[in-house]
Amino acid sequence: MNNKCRIPLLIALTFALAACEDTKDKNYTGMGDNGGALPGDTVNPGGDVNGIPPSARGNFNPNDADYQTLASDTVYFDFDKSTIGGAERGKLQAVSEWFKSNPGHSLFLAGHADKRGTPEYNRALGERRALAVREYLVGLGLPAGSLYTNSYGSDRPAVDGDTEEAYAKNRRVEIGVIVQKP
Amino acid sequence: MNPCRMAVHLIFPSHLNLLANVKLLSTCLPLILLVGLSGFPGPQLHAQQGVVVSVPTLPRVGVSISGALGSGVTEIVSADLKRTGMISPVSSGSGDYLASGEAGESGVTGRLVNKSGAAIFNQTFTGKGRLAAHQFADAITQAVTNLPGFAASRLAFVAGPTRTQELYLADMDGFNARAITHDGTISASPSLNRDGTKLAYTSYKSGYPDIYLIDLASGNRTRIAFFPGINTGPSFSPDGSRIALTLSKDGNPEIYTMSTDGGSLTRITRTRGAETSPSWSPTGDRLVYSSDDRGSPQLFISSASSTAESSDMDHLVTGNSYCTKPDWSPDGKWIAFTTRVGGQFQIGVFDVANRTAQLITTSGGQDPAWTRDSRHLVYANNGHLYLLDTVSRQSLPIEMSVSGCGEPTVSR
Repeated sequence: MNNKCRIPLLIALTFALAACEDTKDKNYTGMGDNGGALPGDTVNPGGDVNGIPPSARGNFNPNDADYQTLASDTVYFDFDKSTIGGAERGKLQAVSEWFKSNPGHSLFLAGHADKRGTPEYNRALGERRALAVREYLVGLGLPAGSLYTNSYGSDRPAVDGDTEEAYAKNRRVEIGVIVQKP
Repeated sequence: MNPCRMAVHLIFPSHLNLLANVKLLSTCLPLILLVGLSGFPGPQLHAQQGVVVSVPTLPRVGVSISGALGSGVTEIVSADLKRTGMISPVSSGSGDYLASGEAGESGVTGRLVNKSGAAIFNQTFTGKGRLAAHQFADAITQAVTNLPGFAASRLAFVAGPTRTQELYLADMDGFNARAITHDGTISASPSLNRDGTKLAYTSYKSGYPDIYLIDLASGNRTRIAFFPGINTGPSFSPDGSRIALTLSKDGNPEIYTMSTDGGSLTRITRTRGAETSPSWSPTGDRLVYSSDDRGSPQLFISSASSTAESSDMDHLVTGNSYCTKPDWSPDGKWIAFTTRVGGQFQIGVFDVANRTAQLITTSGGQDPAWTRDSRHLVYANNGHLYLLDTVSRQSLPIEMSVSGCGEPTVSR
């Protein structure tokens, strides 16, 4: 898909999504800053600044997400970064193909940070990572409304320990599969 | 002499025994403390023995006090005074102030006189248990140093194993630590209101990070922010009526304020980055927070009542590339923060008037929180809490009965 057709798709999706989300908020920003640019692409400085807002919470318990099915597609990040590196993008291509061939499922994108630094900043960093993966998947044609996100900051490490190897495994977005109740 | 009056002894120099576990006796328990300025000859005290306390002209390590004094109140007061870093308990006869009093069922009656015998105060402190002794220590500290004591403040923090940390409350000396949540999920980022009666925090009880408010007297807990995305990092305004927080409902994490009942939401930032850890100016008109809008996280100040665009945000230049978790001092002069230096996290302090920053730890530290004197900070390092005197830069561990402690906050 090229950028020209990605942008109108994103706009349509975002407005469709905004219409069914939190109506208490009058400041809903709708379309994000990236104009559909993929993370890592050059960002268009125009427009609003916030990216695609997260989905309303679904009718499921986040702790019930199945992280096994797409475990090999966990996306890893550099320290203090939420940019999806080139080597990680193939995983998201695989996730989008899985999604398209498995109708009836939604995805739960769980962002995490390594333990270094202040917990609150790490919680925000995990959220940005999850939202970056969501935006990337929307760019690959997945419906934003089927992509739920959460951040666990540094509170749910994949592995314990104080080594660079442990930190690298903890800076991640895990892709959970959910079957949403009607 | 009152038959239940007890003599007080001093041992020079002995090991630090700040946290001796001495229970407050419920029976009549008079105590005598002498408080004085070092460098001056103290009064001769024949009829009364006591702990004498000096105020050094420079920050200094005080003398140690025996843990076997026999008087719980005296030990508590002595330890509190010493913990200030400005006052040292000294031997009878060498101080400029004499503190004395009686402890009973209804609290502690405390008196302070100067070396000429002139009364400074004579007051009854009615806090329960150890609190009355802490209140007495704070009154002495205020009288002798002209800075408010913080011994009677309350400390909230998270503790326990990663993945299931709970919220705890404790006294400033580490005593009386008790869990106030038992949720078995992630609890984080506690904020106490000024008088320590309410606590706001982040909990994953719903499966998502939401903000809850606990009334500590009744134990009632209310969920006050649960928008799509993360709801986290609450911070009470100085008057307690509003909470600043981080929400990602509009996309990336931004700062907002809301009233404590969950209404009147106001957006404070609008950037491409993530904003976290808001802290109010003492007058409540501004917020300092962390933002990575310009790359790595930096500190910024903007109005607490309107939405700032990125260009309206006042960047506090600290000279360090990673600066998070600011905390504005009660006197408005300082902003403490966490910064990353050479791969290690340290505490820095930003001088608001002069716009300069200094590192004040060398052995690691993060998540600083000011005490009410705007001189001391409580911070976390590797699961332990410390009290730091920002003038002398000395840190004292706050011994806790629980492990894995972090994210301290102090009532003012």
